[in-house]
Amino acid sequence: MQKIPLSFAKSGMILARDVFRGDTPVGMPVCGKGSELTNALITRFEQMDVKSITVEGHPVWEEGDRSLNDYLRELDNRFAKTIQEPHNAVLHCVYKEYLIKAMEGYSGQQPE
Amino acid sequence: MASNQSDLKKSIMDTKTLPTLPNVIHKLNSLSDSDSSSVQEMAKIVSSDQVLSARILRLANSPSYGFHRVSTISNAMILLGVNVVKSLALSSSIIAMMEHDSIGLWEHSLGVGSAANLIAHRLKLPECEEIATAGLLHDIGKVIIKLKCSDVDKEIQLRVTTRQIYSLEAEREVLDTDHAEIGGWLAKSWFLPDKLSEPISFHHDVEKSCNNRVKTAVIHLADVLIKSSGFGDSGDDFVPSLQNIAWDILKLDKQLLDELVYELEDKLIEVKNFSFEMLSN
Ligand SMILES: [Fe+2]
Ligand SMILES: [Fe+2]
Repeated sequence: MQKIPLSFAKSGMILARDVFRGDTPVGMPVCGKGSELTNALITRFEQMDVKSITVEGHPVWEEGDRSLNDYLRELDNRFAKTIQEPHNAVLHCVYKEYLIKAMEGYSGQQPE
Repeated sequence: MASNQSDLKKSIMDTKTLPTLPNVIHKLNSLSDSDSSSVQEMAKIVSSDQVLSARILRLANSPSYGFHRVSTISNAMILLGVNVVKSLALSSSIIAMMEHDSIGLWEHSLGVGSAANLIAHRLKLPECEEIATAGLLHDIGKVIIKLKCSDVDKEIQLRVTTRQIYSLEAEREVLDTDHAEIGGWLAKSWFLPDKLSEPISFHHDVEKSCNNRVKTAVIHLADVLIKSSGFGDSGDDFVPSLQNIAWDILKLDKQLLDELVYELEDKLIEVKNFSFEMLSN
């Protein structure tokens, strides 16, 4: 999932977190996670002073953004001292699978 | 740094120069848990301190606790109970010590607090809030090292970066003790209950905990998860060994870890936002 400024929102993106009026969880919930964005919905968010939203996948790439490979390399570095130990090997695997899942399926390139 | 290991250890462990808790916290701790007159007394004590009240409410609504409905101290007493408010008062005072000049450690601590709370709920353990508090406070020993001997802290950091060792190892080389022992010591000198002091003392060596092994194992796992995730900065970049004893006590397996990591990563986005909000205030 990725947090993006509202100006980058496009219809078809899926909300990964609830959206609140004025961007704070103390505000009124406006739209639940799992909803698909439409242009009308985006306009409504603008009117409600929502500044950023969190969507599924990783739809917006900017210069300096780390790729999946960067994330996996950093993960390996963190586990450098303990990957040989059975429990840590399991945990490494859990995180690796998590990262792959979190970064995949972002830009509609992924088949259904 | 002219002094040797044991002199340094002595000076760090010197109770006369340990940071003290605000007086309100001592007053709160001296009230009994059950007496209903003490609840009112407590609400009065807490509400008389504006800064503390504000901090408690912010913390209650943090991702480590996540009680979104809490908006007043008396509301907090009713919803959360006296014990939880005591924990909140304590952590909010201690967190004030690290919030601004140890941002990495503060984020690490918030992360471990949130992870501990999540694990405790997932395993349906009693006293989830106390476990979250223990998570927030687990590395308090590092704050003490930095506060009391910033030279020593720099020396430890230097050894970690040049030799790529755990900060725990560097602490032992330089001080002949480590942040877990120092933190446990501090907890005792503040008369914190066992259920907080044991996880602080033994989160790197679960086996040594006698009375609170489950809580200690939760904090150990929470720390390992946050280090795996790379969230915050606790002094080095290496994931510690996930200890056998913790694995067994918590009955871990891959599927459970899958679920925990998925939920945790989701929550860490909130933690990051929360930390950012607190710092920009
Ligand atoms: Fe630690
Ligand atoms: Fe830690």
